[in-house]
Amino acid sequence: MLTESRRVSRWSARWVMPALVAVVGIVYLLAATAGGRLQLGLEMFGVMAVCAIGLVLLGRRSETIRGLAGPERDERFALIDLRATASTAVVLILAILGGFVFEIARGHSGAPYLWLGVLAGVAYLVSVAILRWRG
Amino acid sequence: MKNTVRTLREARGLSQGQLGTALRVSRQTINAIETERYTPSLPLALALARFFETTVEEMFDVDGEQARE
Repeated sequence: MLTESRRVSRWSARWVMPALVAVVGIVYLLAATAGGRLQLGLEMFGVMAVCAIGLVLLGRRSETIRGLAGPERDERFALIDLRATASTAVVLILAILGGFVFEIARGHSGAPYLWLGVLAGVAYLVSVAILRWRG
Repeated sequence: MKNTVRTLREARGLSQGQLGTALRVSRQTINAIETERYTPSLPLALALARFFETTVEEMFDVDGEQARE
């Protein structure tokens, strides 16, 4: 039987990811509004709001979504999330390297891909150092 | 990794969901372990062994896995 605190914890965990997605949408809206592009901001907020609602609705039916984004996250879902994040990072880094090479070949400086690549490389080295230090 | 989790669970009349709840993992994770798609961490393997009052060695075919490697 669930204790009251655990029930509250499960309830709050179920709403954390949708709330985070909605907050990111609000940040997009504010940033676009500050940049004078209210229409774009509303569209981006709309997309994020749909994603947040989708997470809430699908989370009720899909054990996978609850596992990845909700209260039923266990070690297997954490591993899936970690591997998916790593795969995503590899794709992004390959895209950055591709963009950098393309820009260099066009006679440009390689920016902003150069700095994104540097950031990725430094982040990787710092992560390895910290993880190695922590054992 | 081959294991006897399904046999032990069914012998106790438990569903995958009930076992998952007892061990604080999802039903899908129990299913993945039973179908050899996921090898549990040491803490979870120990929790499984403790739950079924057996040992990790008896529950998981470690030797068979090493022989395949």
